[in-house]
Amino acid sequence: MTDPLELPASARRPRQTFELEETGFNEVPKRFRRFYRRWRGAGDKLGPNEALCPVCKVVIRSTKELRAGDRVYCMPCMSRLELVEEEGMLIAKVIY
Amino acid sequence: MPETDDPHELGEAEFRNTVHSFEFWFEAVQGYLHGRPYGSPGLRESELTERQRQGLITTLCNYCVGETAALDASSGMIGFAPDRGAKIFLATQVVDEGRHLEVLLHRMKQLGVADPDAEIEQRANRSLLKFKERLLEFVDARDWEASVFAQNVILECLEYTVFRHHAGTADPVTAEMLRGIVSDERRHMGFGENDLGRRLLMAPHTHDRLNQIKRELDSLVINTFAETLGELGVERDDRPDLAGDYLAAVARLGFRS
Repeated sequence: MTDPLELPASARRPRQTFELEETGFNEVPKRFRRFYRRWRGAGDKLGPNEALCPVCKVVIRSTKELRAGDRVYCMPCMSRLELVEEEGMLIAKVIY
Repeated sequence: MPETDDPHELGEAEFRNTVHSFEFWFEAVQGYLHGRPYGSPGLRESELTERQRQGLITTLCNYCVGETAALDASSGMIGFAPDRGAKIFLATQVVDEGRHLEVLLHRMKQLGVADPDAEIEQRANRSLLKFKERLLEFVDARDWEASVFAQNVILECLEYTVFRHHAGTADPVTAEMLRGIVSDERRHMGFGENDLGRRLLMAPHTHDRLNQIKRELDSLVINTFAETLGELGVERDDRPDLAGDYLAAVARLGFRS
């Protein structure tokens, strides 16, 4: 069993949770829309519960803080993604 | 459709069945097409110079060639798709491609083109026609990997980039029409990359064959769309990295550029 003190600080603390609201994203069925939003370009910033789909550049949102190893789905382009940490940043990678 | 509203809680098979379904497609397109006849919510036409109008017509002619290629190919591919999910997804793609062709032809008529077929014949880019011919040869040969690669990866990725960029600079009516098409293209290129990605994991030997197809075909489409941006009057320095999304997709699939 891994000693919790050996884990990175982000993994030791409980995950933040998020209430998702509509973002105006309209490319998936209504009940899934709050889980996605459009990328607003260079000045945009991802929240701790968000990841950018590398295939279609839509922002994927979760009700909980995302961490390395999490798996999420991009419904607009039908991709299955895994979060990996690269150079201190959380990146979404497609898993086929 | 699944019971949960959280897509990230779905199992892999359930996710794939959901997003490949007609039910998913229908509810998705309602979001961005409802109340938009021919892809536009009744916007007022802006003034175009004759040079801009001619450039736009030539561009739309080439978009029509690409969409017709995808319509013919995706409908043919249903007959040899590897599973029911892929057949159903391709049926939704056929509907999308038919709609794209219809709205593009309608836009040409709005721009004063009396005989769109004659204009397409006269203005179509030869490289794109060559690409279409090769794509349909793969379909006639019932070659699933080559067809998905040529259509859903090469053609759809490049269309996605060009349409997205063009929507950012076009007149309001053309821009709205293109935005609706781009939303559809996300599904088409995502389907292609994911299907091929799974297939290459199971049959890595397919890689070399597809690499040859890539070498033969991708320059045809890249050159066509580079010319398209010229026709639209986009200065060389302002042109997007046309092949960027496409090269990223093929790199994820393990192809070297």
